[in-house]
Amino acid sequence: MNIPVTVIGGYLGAGKTTLLNRLLAHPQGVRLAVVVNDFGSVNIDAALIANRDGETISLTNGCVCCSIGDNLALALYDLAERPDGPEHIVVEASGVADPARIAGYAASHPRLFLDGIVVVADAETVRARVHDAYVGDLVRRQLETADLIALSKTDLVDAKTVQQVQEWISVEVPDARVVTAPRAGQVADLLLSGPGGHAVLYDALPGGEHARQFMTWSFVRGGVLDGDALRTVIAALPAAVVRAKGVVRLAEAPDRRFVLQLVGRRWSLEPDHVENRDTVVPDRSVIVCIGLADQLEPERLEALFAPVSVAVVPRAVKALLQGVERP
Amino acid sequence: MPGPITIFSARKIITMDPAVEEATHVAVRDGIILEVGTLNECAVWGDHTLDDRFGDSILIPGLIESHAHLLDGLLWAKAEYVGPIDRRDPSGKLHKGLASIPALVKRLKEVEAAISDPTAPLVGWGVDPSLNDLPDPITRHDLDQVSKTRPIFLLAASCHIAYVNSATLELANYAAIKAPGVLRDASGAPTGELQEMAAMMAAIKAVASNLVGASTDAEQFFNFAKVAQVRGVTTIVDGGGSTYFEPAFLQAALAATGSPDFPVRIVAHNNGITVPKVEDMIEAATMLRGKGNDKLVFQGIKILLDGSNQGFTGRLRPPGYLRTGANGLWNRAPEELRRIVSAMHAAGMQIVAHCNADQASEAFIEAVAAAQAEKPRFDHRHFIVHGQLLNESQLRRMATLGISATLFSNHMYYWGDFHRTHTFGAFRAAAMNPAATALRLGVIVAAHSDTPVSPVDPLLTMWAAVNRVTTTGRVQGPRERVSAYEGLRMMTYNAAWLLHRDHEIGSIRVGKRADFTVLAHDPLAVEPMAIKDIPVRGTILGGRVFPTAG
Ligand SMILES: [Zn+2]
Repeated sequence: MNIPVTVIGGYLGAGKTTLLNRLLAHPQGVRLAVVVNDFGSVNIDAALIANRDGETISLTNGCVCCSIGDNLALALYDLAERPDGPEHIVVEASGVADPARIAGYAASHPRLFLDGIVVVADAETVRARVHDAYVGDLVRRQLETADLIALSKTDLVDAKTVQQVQEWISVEVPDARVVTAPRAGQVADLLLSGPGGHAVLYDALPGGEHARQFMTWSFVRGGVLDGDALRTVIAALPAAVVRAKGVVRLAEAPDRRFVLQLVGRRWSLEPDHVENRDTVVPDRSVIVCIGLADQLEPERLEALFAPVSVAVVPRAVKALLQGVERP
Repeated sequence: MPGPITIFSARKIITMDPAVEEATHVAVRDGIILEVGTLNECAVWGDHTLDDRFGDSILIPGLIESHAHLLDGLLWAKAEYVGPIDRRDPSGKLHKGLASIPALVKRLKEVEAAISDPTAPLVGWGVDPSLNDLPDPITRHDLDQVSKTRPIFLLAASCHIAYVNSATLELANYAAIKAPGVLRDASGAPTGELQEMAAMMAAIKAVASNLVGASTDAEQFFNFAKVAQVRGVTTIVDGGGSTYFEPAFLQAALAATGSPDFPVRIVAHNNGITVPKVEDMIEAATMLRGKGNDKLVFQGIKILLDGSNQGFTGRLRPPGYLRTGANGLWNRAPEELRRIVSAMHAAGMQIVAHCNADQASEAFIEAVAAAQAEKPRFDHRHFIVHGQLLNESQLRRMATLGISATLFSNHMYYWGDFHRTHTFGAFRAAAMNPAATALRLGVIVAAHSDTPVSPVDPLLTMWAAVNRVTTTGRVQGPRERVSAYEGLRMMTYNAAWLLHRDHEIGSIRVGKRADFTVLAHDPLAVEPMAIKDIPVRGTILGGRVFPTAG
């Protein structure tokens, strides 16, 4: 099974650590590895620590936290090679790192792939920070390279300011996907991809703030889909869709399963590497979109996705599928 | 009971001490200089042995390499040198630069033919197409000419790029590695060029895994020392990435340097690079204080501010890199840096700061200014490593704050043309490594090689500071040339001062250690362009003679 890697960027104090702490404390059943610059920056509950071995802390919930040491590539290589390897890896980029550069490491091993770059931006300070002589260019670059921007500390400023910051981001980074997260940890669940990265997720989102901000919309079809039409639709999804996952069958290779992953602006639709036939109903495609509750328009998504269904599955294909599934 | 006295004679002894600038004899006892002058003046100390073997040579204070990395020694131990620059190996043998791909392939074929195990990988280092006659990239097709079956891995001198053949690509399953640093041709196949660790790691793990992770190999220390010694070095800095705070590594370092045959002294900076927290850096530095031996001392804490200029990761003041206006990368956020500098300064530590481009230097100068305001300290000897684009205003502030520097003078020679056309443009290329202005303003500067980035060779570094000439013969910033005397002082006394060792090395003066470099010609008298070609006949370390093969 290949392992998705999420890169968390953002300037010092934006809230990356809050997010990482939340992920480690509530991994949603995912065996998570969090790779940090410095153990001191994460605040792991002592009761949660099962074992500490040099650069790795193992938690009782199955997660691990590793320090980068002086070689991120080596830390990721070791994680990818572990027999009990993680199901998802989250890498903390340093406050002045270019997240796109760190994302280069996400595909440094055959088993690893980049799930997405999430940049946490402090609603209170980000607009001023881009003018800093020393770090302004990097803060701007962080926003530009983000697949998804989590606007943090929105509870420390008034609603009007939040709106102004969002507008400012949409001018600075035209195609930006932004979610607000007064405490950055609130977007943690959005990053996880479910056990193995495959099971269709988020049937029940946690309540509270999270539920108010997000809503889900699902697409379920029997038969195979038109791959080209689906790719066109995904590329044109509205900015209100911030996360999507799917397992689909495509007419172009009906005997294979394809996995859709979308984090903000980044998405991929790739054949599954390991067919695990038990987890999906053959001959069925499921896509779940998570979007901003106040902006997501289900009717618009219905209309967008309409062209992807292949009206009639050719008999021969069906026979082939069944032959493959039940030899 | 004092030991026996040896008097070394020389055609000329250049002391670099204004009291007695020249002499013909130096008396040594128990590794310490007893007298410097004529034979009669030295003989006053009584019974002695006269050592005349260098009677027709020039003795200068032992040369000091003020910034280098132990990695150099590991590379010589684990990989074959196949770069475009002439380098001497630990035995003193000269490896002529391979400045074209055909020359590289020819040499690799020879190396390949000599490996008996058909499955053993061929690992090389030092390649750098930017310094080749034609800057074409090295591809797997070139390396497949050497072998289609034996994995080949060549590490660039910068350590930021590697080149591999098809066998390595296949062995490490590069078909499935999507890292953007894996360069691909029009058909989508990897070209064999792997940029940055993200792209290199799978190949390293598959064929050259002994190049990563802390090695405790004794050979790396001896190689590091010998490569330097054959070019006249008596003291060399290990510039901050090593993990002496780890007991096994410290043990290995003490065992190697404790050998009477160990030919140089190492001044090791404490590690502020791979240690995230300043409290831990200070604790490790405090723990290591006094833990060394006669040939290993710990001095200063090394921190990194930015990247490398030729890698476009140095932090520049506006207008940024040539044409693009882009800027490089901080290693630590400037606000974090201010906390680190302030904590180290308050703890009485010496701070050694890698600042390659001018914005990094500026951030460090400001951090020291703030730390000095909080807690004024005299004689802290914080210094900048590289400081390649320091300007007059920065140097004046450094003078008032007590900051000095070791400049990367070799860069002007090896990459001066590259900087002119690719990174900085004409003006800033001419402004690089401004040694003359620094000295005029009272900023004590030394110069270094940063080996393995460029070869450790203090006479070459001195020559580079004196001539400021590029590989194509262009003199850039002639007003920043220093005199031969100033150049030699940069490589001796000034370097000793930076390292807090001027009380014992850096000049030939009564009471200091008997560390000398033996040269065939007088570096202050030869044609300035000939300084780098002066043969090194040996070194004397604490009175013990270490000959050189050359
Ligand atoms: Zn260095």
